[in-house]
Amino acid sequence: MRAREPDLSGHAVNGDVRVHYEVFGSGSTTLLMMGTFPVVDGRQWKGQVPYLSRHFRVVTVDARGNGGSDRPSGPEAYGDEVCAADALAVLDATGTDAAFLVALCSGIKWSLLLAQREPERVLGLVAIAPGVHPLTPNPQPLEPVDAPQWAGDYPGWVGYHSGALFPEAHSSKPYEDLVGWSLQTDADTIGARTHAPLSPATEEDAVLLSKSLRCPVLVLHGTEDRCQPVARGRRFAELTGARVVVLDGVGHVPHARHPVRVNTEIKEFVDMHTTDVGSSGTPWLFARERKRRALWVCSPIGLGHTLRDLAIAKALRERVPDLEIEWLAQPPVSDVVRAHGEALHPASDELASESAHWESESERHDLHAFYAFRRMDEILCANYMLFDDVVRETPYDLWVGDEAWDVDHFLHENPERKIAPYVFMTDVVGFLPVDPEGDAREAELCADYNAEMIEHRERFPFVRDLSVFIGGFDELPDAPLGPSLPTVRDWTEQWFSTVPYVVPFDPGAYRRPQALRRRLGYGTGYPLYIAAVGGTAVGRSLLELTAEAFALVRKEQPDARMVMVTGPRLDPGLLPDVDGMEKRGYVDSLFEHLACADVAVVQGGLSTTMELTAARRPFIYFPLAHHWEQQHFVAHRLDRYGAGVRMDYARTSPVDLAAAMIEAGRSRPAYRPVRRGGADRAATMLAGLLTGPRG
Amino acid sequence: VRARQPERCGYAVRDGVRLYYEVFGDGPTTVLLLPPWAIVYSRVWKLQVPYLSRHFRVVTYDPRGNGRSDRPGPASAYDDALVVADALAVMDAAEVDAAVGVGLSYGGRVLLSLAADHGERVRGAVFVAPTLGLSASPAFVARFEEPLGSDADVAGTWASYNADFWRDDLPAFAEFFFGQVFPEAHSTRQAENGVEWALETDGETLVATRSSARRVLTAEELRACAARVTCPSLVIQGNGDRIVSPKDSHELAALLGAPLVVFEGGGHGVQARHPVRFNLLVRQFAESVAGRATGTS
Repeated sequence: MRAREPDLSGHAVNGDVRVHYEVFGSGSTTLLMMGTFPVVDGRQWKGQVPYLSRHFRVVTVDARGNGGSDRPSGPEAYGDEVCAADALAVLDATGTDAAFLVALCSGIKWSLLLAQREPERVLGLVAIAPGVHPLTPNPQPLEPVDAPQWAGDYPGWVGYHSGALFPEAHSSKPYEDLVGWSLQTDADTIGARTHAPLSPATEEDAVLLSKSLRCPVLVLHGTEDRCQPVARGRRFAELTGARVVVLDGVGHVPHARHPVRVNTEIKEFVDMHTTDVGSSGTPWLFARERKRRALWVCSPIGLGHTLRDLAIAKALRERVPDLEIEWLAQPPVSDVVRAHGEALHPASDELASESAHWESESERHDLHAFYAFRRMDEILCANYMLFDDVVRETPYDLWVGDEAWDVDHFLHENPERKIAPYVFMTDVVGFLPVDPEGDAREAELCADYNAEMIEHRERFPFVRDLSVFIGGFDELPDAPLGPSLPTVRDWTEQWFSTVPYVVPFDPGAYRRPQALRRRLGYGTGYPLYIAAVGGTAVGRSLLELTAEAFALVRKEQPDARMVMVTGPRLDPGLLPDVDGMEKRGYVDSLFEHLACADVAVVQGGLSTTMELTAARRPFIYFPLAHHWEQQHFVAHRLDRYGAGVRMDYARTSPVDLAAAMIEAGRSRPAYRPVRRGGADRAATMLAGLLTGPRG
Repeated sequence: VRARQPERCGYAVRDGVRLYYEVFGDGPTTVLLLPPWAIVYSRVWKLQVPYLSRHFRVVTYDPRGNGRSDRPGPASAYDDALVVADALAVMDAAEVDAAVGVGLSYGGRVLLSLAADHGERVRGAVFVAPTLGLSASPAFVARFEEPLGSDADVAGTWASYNADFWRDDLPAFAEFFFGQVFPEAHSTRQAENGVEWALETDGETLVATRSSARRVLTAEELRACAARVTCPSLVIQGNGDRIVSPKDSHELAALLGAPLVVFEGGGHGVQARHPVRFNLLVRQFAESVAGRATGTS
């Protein structure tokens, strides 16, 4: 899913060619994100749009030849002059009097030509890897699409070309994006642009045109750029009086591989040439007058984090009574946080939806969680940038990120952005492939992501002041993080502190289900089954299966009842009606209800299964297919506790499940006890960062 | 030892009054740090000069009445208009065509006139806790020239804001005054500096700088000045200021259409007490007005 949908889209017309554009946000200043060599479309700016549109009006353009724009034929249709006219047509079509231009490579020439024609409409230019070819020679030009070795093999050329543009390690996702966009067009179109009439065509013209630019210019250029040598960027900067930011070790597409740095450079540049400083109106408070404040970022993937975070926050407040906590969270987490009387940061409403992304990625009882995570790159970047804004508007004494993958990843990529103590908490470390035999690519990518995580920690340990693993190290699988990488357990033991698994209740208080049943109004004297699937709509298929199985159970146990909890994002009305079965949406303190059950049927999510383990109730769990965490981490942990009956959705019929439910009801659980005090231990560690040795 | 020595120093001479100035650093953009009221002089910028001169050419000068500048005797030598003319004379002497001006306290009032009537020489203006008197003045100001009874014990109170008292015991007034300038906890060093600089001039000179015989701009004239300012501006104000009314800064920002940065819990000397935040703001402002120096980063 995209992190930010356009508010408006349409086509500008230049001659008989239609040029597609999209408009985001409504600031008084407009940024026109120019098109470029048509191996990409306007989506090349996906790491910029969600952030920049919070501050400015942003217009993206699909260069002719790709995306939603026409693909005319022949080199004449792709000349620099005509491409510049496309951008002008987009300014007109979107009613934009003047704009800052943000351009990559060839887009810089088109920006120059646009400014030459209508200088008053160009307020400034951010030139990324400026492709003003005649300014300097390129000693090692890339192979063109119509080079003999690529004849008839456009996909082959695309792989070669995309690879050359991303020399940085761990660039698999931006590389794949580029390949995908390149395959939206064809060899003829790329060939036509390659041989299109150039303007400026000579060095003299290029110098004159560059010098004629009257607006402020910022140049960003990677030293490892194979497409446009960095010397070209430096020369362009000299001619235009621009500030140059040389990006060491960076390739041709810094905005895709290093979005945070590029975004902040663009924002600062535009601000410098538009508004005055301090216009945000945020007062600066003398440091000693500040209240202690923490920002708590709570991932929405799995509702379980929420209750443990609330438990830890409560214990932290007991230790640091003057602490104010603000939560940066999205539904369904934000609803729970608010229901507990906690303060939600207002920027929470602007978070791009992760839950919707996960739902869009799942099918029946199947969610390839690693691929889904990987395809969430755009949402993670957008949400990191929001965090980055928030922590610069308000000074915090502590950042807590519970599985805040966005915050953690981008802080390690941009360690200079860390300005407060930061605690990362998680119950899962690393990606383990779910189909190592059948899907070699998955195994390779998991290892690459794990290697990046290890490099991040080893190179920038200061980014985290504390890494907390929730649970004992022996609850982690002993599988390697990749070829020649340490195992999950060994590496976690080395790099994390541990606290006992945090359950949001005292397990000792839930050992007498009959009393609990009376208290919650269920009554006693009949078999009570409870089914629940966590916080997203992913679990619908499992609930349907369970409903069918329960109908069969009723034939053997006519007095049996079932409570089916669908969760906040799934409408109970979508599920079948079965005699003896009550359907409920969100239930507060679900664990109390689970603790009443004679048998529970649940998804393989960690929180729910561990709550059942702590309460020592019989349960059957179905890990989502292809979900690395549920398949590996949760299952391993439950094995350590000797808890639960694992079943596989794809291989389970209603008859099988009904039999398993009846069987489970006869069992007497003897699980390993869940140690107490996890929340207190975690809170003590966090408090130390706030109060120092005195605390 | 000073953290940064000037590259160049000299005197601008105007109407027989010598004004001492210093120039630090180079660069296409000049930042002119105007002196406040002559109870202090250019050293109030000691925490700004080393940083700002890394990024800009910085010019400071001592006001008539303190530092190494002359101390003319009569009250008429301290008219608002003359003090404004001093700033122009220093810019001429230091060969500054146009500068980003930073005016603290009384220097903010000077900067306002300068920006209003000599717009071509001011590229941008930062007003820091400017002394404008737009709101009603406190009662002690009106009693400045009233004789003090010989047995009056006014030391340590605003009643020591009095011509007789200054002639008699400037150190006691300075002690009290700089305590008010820096209401923030842990400001001993800043207050000590203030007292030290005050004692480089004398009671009689200071009395002249506040005399009711001076010709000064009225509140209405200052509002009219604000309406004539065309350069980008920024207003900085501590909301715990005990010397000038923070309301004046709010009004000035509104008149100028300029952003106002409030230092919550800040007193009258935010540049001395909160130098890091202050320096970053000034740098950012000057760059937004004049552009950042070209270079690789």
